[in-house]
Amino acid sequence: MAKSFGSYILDTSAFISLESIGFLSKVLQVFSVTTTNSVIKELEAFAKHDDTYGKIAKEILKRISEFTVESCEITESIKYIEPTDNELYNLALKKNIPLITDETKLVHHAREKIEVYFTPVFLVLSIEMKQISKKEALDKLENLKNRRNWGNNIIYLVFKDQIEKL
Amino acid sequence: MCYKVITMETEQFNIRMPKDLVQDLDIISKLLKVNKSEWVKTKLAEEVHQEKNKLLMELSTLYATGMITKEKVEKLVGKDIAEEMESIKLIAQKSVKHGVEHGKKLRQLHS
Repeated sequence: MAKSFGSYILDTSAFISLESIGFLSKVLQVFSVTTTNSVIKELEAFAKHDDTYGKIAKEILKRISEFTVESCEITESIKYIEPTDNELYNLALKKNIPLITDETKLVHHAREKIEVYFTPVFLVLSIEMKQISKKEALDKLENLKNRRNWGNNIIYLVFKDQIEKL
Repeated sequence: MCYKVITMETEQFNIRMPKDLVQDLDIISKLLKVNKSEWVKTKLAEEVHQEKNKLLMELSTLYATGMITKEKVEKLVGKDIAEEMESIKLIAQKSVKHGVEHGKKLRQLHS
């Protein structure tokens, strides 16, 4: 399938969320994904460990040829967030494409300047594109909640409620 | 190698503790060869962090399900946390909206 379905920027948390529920390959098949060198460095740091996140990071890095990696000069900085997140924010500003993240602080401080969404957006996109059923999406959301230790956080509760209503 | 020294602002906080507890702390301190105050500070920090996150999670659940307003959250925990919760809820809703609208558009384009 050609990647003509849209472009997104992914941060470390988004890559980890997607791979943790076995959905990254699906996203990479359908959408054009870009990330930054700093994100790759973060994933490489995770991959040095033999724990759950280390294994997930290794799997993500195996797919590095399936997405674009680029650096971006920080011309506009948000003082409350890390340099890695500021690079992603600047990349989203420069390319004018949505940033996907599960970092709530980044979302809070960047939301008025760039288009930013939480990772389960790909579950909703996939339901609407008839690639997965509503039940599969809800199962994956439940899995994501458990894998990421989200508990009943706002992201989980809003997506669950809204997906059930689709 | 370069080290960055971070000086943390501190505030005096006095508590009276039962003698038994102080004796237990002495035992821990001797066995672990650690400073008593530092050990208490570390343990307290862990407990405070965990409890704070647990309570904020419960508060955000109430907020996400509409059982409590942003104004009430602000009164309880302050403006910064209330605004961050509002952002998370708005962006989660916006994410679903984007997924539905963009997904439908893509399906029509590629059918």
